[in-house]
Order: sequence, then C-alpha cells, then structure tokens
Amino acid sequence: MIQTGGNATIGRVVATESLPAGTHQFFFWSAIDTPIGIGAIVRVDDGAARSVYAVVVDGKGYSDLASPLHEVVVAQGDPAGDRAPTRRTEVRLWTAAVLRQDPEEPVQPVPLADVRLATKEDVEVALRMDAYVRGERPTGIPIGVYRAGNLTAPVWMDADFVLGPESAHLNISGVSGLATKTSAVEFLLASIFQRLPAHRGSVAAVCFNVKGPDLCFLDQPGDLTAADRELYATLGIDPRPFDRVRYFAPYRADGINLNTLRSHPDLVADVQPLVWGLREVLGFHEVLLNRDDLDAKADGLLDFLVDRVVEKEFRDEWGATHRVQSFADLDRLFRAVFDGLEQAGRSDVWRTHHIATIRKVRNRLLNISTRCKGLVTDDGSVSDLPFGQFEDRALYVLDVAGMDQVAQDLVFTRVVSTLREHLERRALGVDQVVVFVDELNKYAPGDGQDTYVRKMLLDISERGRYLGLVLFAAQQFRSQVHRRVVGNAGTVVFGRMDMDELATPGYQVLSPATKIKLATLPKGELMVRHPHFTQPIFVRFPRPPVMSGPNGSKRFPPASDVAFEEAVVRQLTGMDRRIAAGRIRDLIAGRRDDDVRRALLATRRAMPDDPFEYFRASLGPAVARERVAVRREGVPLRTVEDPYAP
Amino acid sequence: MTDSPRRRLIAALQQAGGTVGAGAMLTHAPPPLGAPFGHADHVEGEPVQAIPVGTPLPPPEPMTFIDGIQRYAVEGRIGLVPIVRGYVAAAALRRERGELQVVDSATHEFLVVPLRRLTAAQRAVLEGCGLPLFDCTAGERSHPILDVQLAAKIVEHRRERVEIDITRRTVVAAPGTWLVVDGSIAGIDDLSDHGNPRVLGLVKSHETQFLDGGDLEVALTLPAGHRTSVFARTAGERATVHTWYLRLWPWEDHELLHGLVRIERPPSPDSVAEATTVSRWLLSERAPLSAPDGRWDRLVYPIRQVETYLRALAGGWW
Repeated sequence: MIQTGGNATIGRVVATESLPAGTHQFFFWSAIDTPIGIGAIVRVDDGAARSVYAVVVDGKGYSDLASPLHEVVVAQGDPAGDRAPTRRTEVRLWTAAVLRQDPEEPVQPVPLADVRLATKEDVEVALRMDAYVRGERPTGIPIGVYRAGNLTAPVWMDADFVLGPESAHLNISGVSGLATKTSAVEFLLASIFQRLPAHRGSVAAVCFNVKGPDLCFLDQPGDLTAADRELYATLGIDPRPFDRVRYFAPYRADGINLNTLRSHPDLVADVQPLVWGLREVLGFHEVLLNRDDLDAKADGLLDFLVDRVVEKEFRDEWGATHRVQSFADLDRLFRAVFDGLEQAGRSDVWRTHHIATIRKVRNRLLNISTRCKGLVTDDGSVSDLPFGQFEDRALYVLDVAGMDQVAQDLVFTRVVSTLREHLERRALGVDQVVVFVDELNKYAPGDGQDTYVRKMLLDISERGRYLGLVLFAAQQFRSQVHRRVVGNAGTVVFGRMDMDELATPGYQVLSPATKIKLATLPKGELMVRHPHFTQPIFVRFPRPPVMSGPNGSKRFPPASDVAFEEAVVRQLTGMDRRIAAGRIRDLIAGRRDDDVRRALLATRRAMPDDPFEYFRASLGPAVARERVAVRREGVPLRTVEDPYAP
Repeated sequence: MTDSPRRRLIAALQQAGGTVGAGAMLTHAPPPLGAPFGHADHVEGEPVQAIPVGTPLPPPEPMTFIDGIQRYAVEGRIGLVPIVRGYVAAAALRRERGELQVVDSATHEFLVVPLRRLTAAQRAVLEGCGLPLFDCTAGERSHPILDVQLAAKIVEHRRERVEIDITRRTVVAAPGTWLVVDGSIAGIDDLSDHGNPRVLGLVKSHETQFLDGGDLEVALTLPAGHRTSVFARTAGERATVHTWYLRLWPWEDHELLHGLVRIERPPSPDSVAEATTVSRWLLSERAPLSAPDGRWDRLVYPIRQVETYLRALAGGWW
C-alpha cells in the first residue's frame, strides 16, 4: 500500500440499492459548506490496506421536500411570504469516478468509508504520476496545477506519451477568445523546453502563425501577475520568454516588404524571408492543383517533369539543352516545346503528351508563382528553414497569416513533409520536433474531399510518434476535425467549450456537471485527458511567459509598407545600424530590382558580420546598359505569291 | 352528475347545518382507548371560547425540540413466555438561525420479560446477555398477545423516561431556552422546580378529552388560526398543567381533529398571558410542511426532524 498521508474527513461514501458503490463510480455525501467541487480529487480508505482515489464528476443537492406543491401550500402561493423558521434538511450528494485503486487488484467496489480531500502526494498517486515524476529517469512535464480547497498540486504529463514513442500529440479545443488555446500551447512549449530531461534528447518546435499577430512576439516578455509567478514557481518553470526564436515570413507581392505583423523596425531584422523556387514547390503540386487540374494525363506530364527535367540536363528534340531550376527556366522549356511542335507542322504530341495537356500544365504551374507571389519566385531564389541544422530548444515560427489558403497549405505541407524526411534520416538537427498548428479543422476537416494536407496530417498523427514528429493542434470544434487525427492525440486538452459542441456524440462520456463546468471554464483553466489519467482532470496554468499578440501589436506596431528603395535601406540598416542609408541608396541606384532582391535575400539568409559588404558582393558590379542601335532602314517584306492580287 | 347516496348525504348534512368531512373509508373498529376522559378546570374564563390568535409570528431563537422513539421485537419465547427486546431513544435538537443541531441524545436497549414466570436458571441465562432486564406484570394466565402488550407498555414507559431525562437535562443546561416536547409534559412533575421553565408540550393525539359539552364542541370545531381559552388538566397521578387547543389547518372537508393540537405548559401566570403569542409561533411552524408524513397537519417540522434523526440513529435496529 502506498502511504500518502491523511487529511480531514469531508464526506462519507453511501451505497443504496439504487446508488450502489461500484468499482469505478461511487457516491458520497458532504457537509453543505464544503471545499468539494466538480473536478476535486478525493481519497477513500477502508481502514485496512485499501485506498481508492477518485475525481468528483457530479453533484446534487436536495432536501426532504416530497413535492414542490408542499412549499406552495405553506407559502400560500407567495414566494416572498414569511420564511419558515426551520431550514429543511439538505444533502450534498456527490458522484465520484475512480482514478485508481491501491492495490490495483483485485478490483473491488469502493469501501463505505470516510472521504478525504486528496493531499499533494495523493494527487500524484491518483493520477499515476508517481510512475514518471520520480526515479532515475523521470519524464514528467508540468501541464498546470490542480487546485481544491487550500491545496495546489502540480500536474505532470509523461513526456513519453506527449512526444512519443509510447503515444504522442496534443490536441486542444475551445471557443475562440475564451479557451486560451494559444496561451496554453505557448505555456506548454515553455514547459517542455525547460523541463524535458536531458536523457529525452533534443527538441525544437515549429509553429505556424495562421492568424493575426498571435505568435509574433514569443521572444518578448509577457505581463505576468504575482499569482502567475507563484504558479511558475510551483511548477519549477522560469517565467522567461523563449531564448531562441527564429521567425520566417514570405514577402508581399512587391517582393521586398515582408508579409508579417512583426514588421516593426526593432524586430523585423529577426524575420527571415521565406522564399521558395520551383524545386521546393513542384514536389507538392498536389497541394496547389485541384482535382480537375490533376487528371491522369496531367499527372503523367508532371511526373515526367519531376523525374526527367527539373534540376537535370535535358535535351529537347530540336537540339537545345535545358537546365530547369526556376519557373522562368520551365517557361523557356515549354516555349521551346511549343515552337518545336509548331515548326514540326501538324504534330500535336510531344513525348506522348498532348499539346493541350502541356498547355494546361504550363498554365497551372506558372500560375503558382502568381498565386503564391511573395513566397514562390520565378527566378529560383530560395530562403528556407534550416532543415538539418535545427537547434535544441529553438522555436521556428512561420508567419503565414497574411497568405491565402492555398499558399498556407503549401507552406504547411512542405515544411511538415520536409521535417518528416529529415527525421526519418535522423538528420534534422534535433531528436524530436513539435509542430503547432491552429485551426486544425481547416487542414483536417472531418468531412469534405480528401486533401493532400489531410492525408499528411493523418499520416503524422498515426506514425509521427515513432519519428519524433509531434503534432500540437488546436481548433474550436473538435467534432469538425477528422476522427483519426484527434483520436490519435494521446493528450487532449479542453478550454471553455461551446454547449452545442458539447452536445455532439464525442462528449457523451462526460457527466452533465463536467460539461457545464467546461462550458463555463474561466480563462487559464483547462480540462486534461492524458493516457495516465483514467478520468479528465481540471488544471490551472499561468499566463505564458511571452508577449501576447495584441500586446505585441500595441508595443511594436507593424510598419507600413514602404517603397522599394526605402525597404532595402530599412532591412539592411536593421541588420546593422551603422550602415549609412545614403551608401545603400547609392549602391542600388540604377540597379535592376530583381538583382537587388536576390542580393538582399542572400544577405538576410547568410546574416554576415558585415551585411553591407556582403550585400555589395552579392549584388556584383554594375554593368553599364548597352544602347542598341535602332536600324533606320526598312526591312523588305517577304513576298508571297498572291493568286488573288489584282 | 350521478345523484349517489353519498352526495345525497352530503347535501343533507349541509341542510342540517353540519360540516362535511373527508369521508375516509375504514374497515376495522379503532382500538379501545385507555383513558378517554380527564378532568379540566377553567383558567382563562368560563366557558371555553375560541380566540383568534392573529398572524404567524417568528418563534424566538434558540428553541429546542425533544422527541423519542421506541422499538421492540419478540425475540423468542421460553415456553409461552415472550422474550421482548426493546430499544428507546430520545434527542434534543436546538434551532438557531433556522438550522437544527443535536444538543443531546440518549439510547437504551433492554429486555422485557415477565420474570415471575421464569425459573432462576432461565433468568440467570438472560441476565448473562448483558442487556438490562425489566419485569412486566403478567397475570396468572398466559396470553400470547396480552403478554406482549404488557411488555410493550414497559417499552413505552422506558421511552417516556428517556424523554423526560433529556428534557430535564436540557432545561438545566439552558434554562432560558424555549423547549418544545413532542406529547404531554404532564409526566414531568418537577419542571416548576427550575423556576419558570419555558417548556411546551405539543400533543397531537386526542385520546383523552378533558373538556365536555359546549366547551368540547368549541375546542374540537375551532376554526383555523384560533385557540381555545387556557384550562388546567389533570389526569390520574400526573401533574396538573395548563393547556389549550390550537387549530393549525382548516378541518373543513377533513376530519374533526385535522390540524388540531393541544399545547401544554407548566402552570404559571405566563402560560395564560403568553398563550396567544405561543400559538402564533406554532402557526409559523406550519412551514416547512412535514409531508409526506401522514401526521403532517399536526406534526411540526422540527419534531419530525428529531424523529428522523432518531430513526437514522437506530438504523436497522432489530
């Protein structure tokens, strides 16, 4: 038997024929004035060698009034009439669901004995946390504190069941604005980064900022109250912002201003451009092209391009050699094919592909760089996440909030797929990576057509735990997400919930009282389901140690877009304030915008000690424009024998 | 509507100036009454009058309520001699700010046997059980029912004793506190020794009638919210107490005794002067209703709670 100390008796187990004490549920009564509430953890000892730990899931209060009519009779129909001199005897009857029996076997009905509020040690035993927060190789990660009466006890998740390999993934649901989903994930990432033991290896996180400035200020300290700091102290976490945050954002359509709300001059220098070319995109054409585009013929041509053309020396039938590395190169190839076919006369087939299919694929592919302008470039310039060089305890934030849905899908799919490829080869730079995505119902909806993104999410949720690829996902309505995606989440967290959502079948296992509590949860409180907890547990967590999106936007208002020349100046001076703006202006005067963009991108990617010199070197020497002489004389027209000429 | 004999009778009753009752159907004759009549002396004027008491008045605080319960079982027989095991309990619940709290309680378990019919050896064996042994008077001839009835009388006596003990202790412990005892207080002969004890006996059964003639008719046909004049009652060896009737609920369309209680109080000038005030307190005790108890019209809720407590204390006594 586990000795965990005692506490004052606050109730007694009752058992009647209609309310029997079972093996997994029992009833107890308490005084009217009691610290017990829904979610309270209690302990029952039989006085010998058996202890039962349980969580309160329902409560009822009633009196000996046999019929409401009796009250009406004595009050003579007036609710405001004289009060009865005696208050009716009232009972508080609680329903508790068993968390653990000690000893575990044989499983027996709960003894009819005194009920006590759980102590800190009891909470540890009740939630089976004693198995993983103690010992030589603990794997506990704080998720919040359990509170009842005067007790505040830390609650821990098991890293083996959050980051794998036993189970993995975390899913969080709740209504927008009240469920504090993003805050909870920020706090949990801080908890994991600080408390994941060294023997569990290295970990990084990739966060997709899909709306507003939510995740744009994770490197800035947040406003914490004394109560928050006390909670952090209880949980053994230092309330500091993340040390290593790398921001990535695509350009706007102008190709020079970054498409992010983290564009304040003091912060924008930390934001790396996210720019991809043909090579990065073509492997994910399924994301960008819809089902009507992707018939068997188009798919065959795309496969041909990927296998035989892109990044290879390709010799066409008309003697030209192509090396396709960018959308511009690809366009040149297509033009060569069209010209070649035209010159060949009536032929409308090239390498078994019909010219109509070729034209369709060309149009769709070249349209990608237009639809994803700012992310995808024509010229092959690339600025990407440092796959292979991920750092331990680093946070990689991709700000895709300003992009349209297709572009967001592309970023999400490619990044996660690339993470997976690197993890399979154990070549990411870290042992495990947490991917946080909000609005999961958009990416993995429970209904509608199967999409490439959803298939990928299903694959991660089912196999990611073996790779160390962990999905932290959030959504308003869990019922609208694919069942296998949420079903594979080992840890499930709920903030304040919508009553309509709670009425869906997925919540049938919860008691009515638990549902009501979920529908009225204050900010900062969550209900947690974790593989070690046999019942959902309510926990409180502190505000995250980082600046919130709205606060960050006030403190660091985003800069408005500026003209090309000014944007270049700002970005370079942001990297090194010693650079004189005039020198930059002189350097780029008269240079082609695309050349300047390429040089600037290379400079930002390299983050050199001397950005100006690097930029100048990347830009190369200015080449004087060659004036082409205009031929004045007329060119004779080719004479054609016109049989109808007069 | 069918003109049934019952309807015709009701019409006749009304025509004759009578009052229509509930007409509850019975199948057996009621058991014979032990002491159907007692003696009364007028105290608050003569003849007895119906006095309206006015609106309910919140009772003083604290106020204590006392009641007792009894149980017995014929555990067996030695020859024809019944061996009765008895259990009695009494408790006092004090009410403060509307909440009832147990302030005193006592339980006793014992055997009741007609000892004269047992041999010395048989008696010694029963004494060895560890339960107090009480004798009950038995006649020369055995009777399987009468012998048990006589034993039950002893159980009832023991219950009265424990109630009286609790009452005395409560009076001593809190002399200024109002005390409401379920039933008659005539058996408590030394209440006046404690000054002017504020003890009320609340009698719900009306087996013994002390009034007669027009006085009785006034008492038993009291309208709701009325009391009778105070009178003094004596019965056998019991102490004289001041008493009056009070109608808690209308009795029309019910039986004659519906909602009728009789209040007893140790004799003193205050018992007359405060009779109306006390009656108003008791009117306020109609809430909460004691339903679904069958005696809800006369049983005040705190007394019912004392019974509930005692029953819970007895549990599955058998």
